[in-house]
Amino acid sequence: MVMNSKSTRNILLVTALAAVSVLSACGGGNDKNNNAGSSTNGGTTGSADKEVTLRLFSNLPDRKSGQGLAEQMVIDNYIKANPNVKIDIETLAEEPFKNKLKAYMASNEALDVTMVHGGAELNTLVQAGYVKELNPAEYEGDTYKFLPGVYKSFTFNDKLYGLPRNSDYEVIYYNKKLFDDNGIKIPTTYAELLEAGKQFRAKGIEPMSMNGKDLWSFAAFFQDLVVRLTGDQNLMLDAVAKKKNFTGDENFTKAAELLAQARDTKLFQESFMTADYGASQNLFTQGRAAMWYMGSWEAGMATNDKLPEDFRNNVNVLKFPVVEGGKGKDTDLLAWNGGGYSLVSSSKHPEEAKKFFDYMMSADQWAKIVWDTGAAVPAQKYELTGKESELQKQLTEVLTGATSTAGSIALDSGTPKFKDDAQNAFGKFFAGGSTPEQLLADLQKAAETQ
Amino acid sequence: MQKVFNNKMAIFLFVFPGILLFALTFLVPIVLSAYYSFRDTLSPGTPSAFIGFANYTELLFHDSRFWLALRNAVLLGLGFILIQHPIAIFFAIMLDRLGGKAEKWFRTIFFIPCVISVVVISKMWLSLLDPTFGAFNKMLDSLGLGFLKHAWLGDGSTALVSMLFILIWAGFGWGLLFYYAGLKGIPDDMYEAASLDGASGFRLHWRITVPLLSPVITVQITLAMITALKQMETVFLTTNGGPGDSTQFLAVYLYNKAFSASQYGYANAISILFIIVCLLATYLSNKLTRSDATEF
Repeated sequence: MVMNSKSTRNILLVTALAAVSVLSACGGGNDKNNNAGSSTNGGTTGSADKEVTLRLFSNLPDRKSGQGLAEQMVIDNYIKANPNVKIDIETLAEEPFKNKLKAYMASNEALDVTMVHGGAELNTLVQAGYVKELNPAEYEGDTYKFLPGVYKSFTFNDKLYGLPRNSDYEVIYYNKKLFDDNGIKIPTTYAELLEAGKQFRAKGIEPMSMNGKDLWSFAAFFQDLVVRLTGDQNLMLDAVAKKKNFTGDENFTKAAELLAQARDTKLFQESFMTADYGASQNLFTQGRAAMWYMGSWEAGMATNDKLPEDFRNNVNVLKFPVVEGGKGKDTDLLAWNGGGYSLVSSSKHPEEAKKFFDYMMSADQWAKIVWDTGAAVPAQKYELTGKESELQKQLTEVLTGATSTAGSIALDSGTPKFKDDAQNAFGKFFAGGSTPEQLLADLQKAAETQ
Repeated sequence: MQKVFNNKMAIFLFVFPGILLFALTFLVPIVLSAYYSFRDTLSPGTPSAFIGFANYTELLFHDSRFWLALRNAVLLGLGFILIQHPIAIFFAIMLDRLGGKAEKWFRTIFFIPCVISVVVISKMWLSLLDPTFGAFNKMLDSLGLGFLKHAWLGDGSTALVSMLFILIWAGFGWGLLFYYAGLKGIPDDMYEAASLDGASGFRLHWRITVPLLSPVITVQITLAMITALKQMETVFLTTNGGPGDSTQFLAVYLYNKAFSASQYGYANAISILFIIVCLLATYLSNKLTRSDATEF
């Protein structure tokens, strides 16, 4: 066996070059059409006979239950009414979806309609000119029935770039049976929540399930604590916008200390730092965790027949508990409009895409279907049917009883860089390393360098 | 034939498609990457501004996460070289001496982790190491070692070690395969001659096997370094660099900067430094392990 060292080296160098080219840069065109095009959209009859295939990109891979089913029903309705249109749906779970959408944006992929996350994520798409501007005047009135103030996370420089699909708010889902069977009081204050956590842990039951790998839930939990302490929905948003400081503020310090208590008393499941959305949900829906900190878009759990019946009958909603001595009430709701849809600028069938988009967003399609199937709480006015699940009724009560709302989630109110840095700060905090002061210093730095 | 090779046009025609493919798939992306690394941009196609070396100075002098990711990659490389490869050589020697059917069986068994998809490996280890339901903690319990139970991948203090273990385990089969093939190429009379001279056991392998395997070892060390540096999939699928950066690796970090934090220019600066680090590692490992090839 003879090895010529020179040629070996050359081969290795080439291999190395080949091995390291991970990030393939794609040249995107700068020729994007960024017009709203609202005035040119008079012709709805023009393309009635032409076969068209529209591409929809969505973050709802489960097409058989919950919001995925609702989305599919809207699509099926549209295809029935417009037989010349085919809709090609691509779906990915939450985090992979976000990443792939950025890759699509970078290569200016000709999608027609895409699901978007309001705030920082959508802001990137807007800056890239990948999504179309919409005319808010078109979406006024009885066809759409959007609730007031729901465009906040979809508006940049006073221009609207997408429509929200849900009213999102954070609640604590809990399994009533686990509380009852173990004789544990359903918490109304933060101290009681921590106490319930200790009791569940002593009985070998995971108290609260958390999707810690995704990190954003920590930021929402922290924002909830800040609001409960101060009663001020704007404080954290102002700090992200650099109008206030995270550091040297006694409210933030107190909130961070309360957050540390949740960490130190092991309120969350043991595997919380490696649990993604699905893993944290499974833990709760399989009755292995007593609570789940998640958003109102999970209303469909109560009607999802794939879940154990015992669980479905016992899932309930809890408002985030008040903090002793805090100025906030339990009706100060961390609510915003996160998910929605946008039209893509590079669409090959802009007129057909808009027609479908408008159809989907009309009050008798997405909003009605998502409510009637019990999948989520829409961002549009909806009629009660009388057939609502217990979970839906409780969620409605939380929303209608809210005395103040946040309007946006602090993590998404800055730049994507802020979001990444802030999430990393929470990750460091929960992985055991840092102190409350360190967390606030990291958040401050993230806000300043965004 | 001679005529064909004298014709410059013919040579060009033969070589050009290959060169073109190489240029389009490797050189052009690297050049584009270098271009973007000097700019501040969210992604290609968005407004971008030339900012000189700002991305690089930020990376090199202010970004502790980058250095942490690099350190972890180097640790992984050392883990490969100092733990995985010696074990692989040891097992290759054992396997070689086993002979017969058993040799074939074990050869297959050891290679199984390399055949399983990375996604399956990642999910499998996630559930094996799950603190509540994981088989590993259950095993500790049944052995009476319950006090050692731990959130292996979920705790900052053990996540890196657990991750290194998974990666070393997953890549073990490849190392074994190479060394095993190398061993098969060493003629038996070398061992016979050495035994006649009185060498046996460990000494025999230290003096005969290891030196004769040195060309394989050289290549393997270089590949191990590069594998460690560009480690991405398993980390991304298990911890995504967390908890709290404790398993952050270069490729995961650069991916998240590009696609989660929308710092595309910055991510490209990382990728350029990444290439430089890989080339440097290749050069160094060649330099350090270079020895005159033995002929036999």
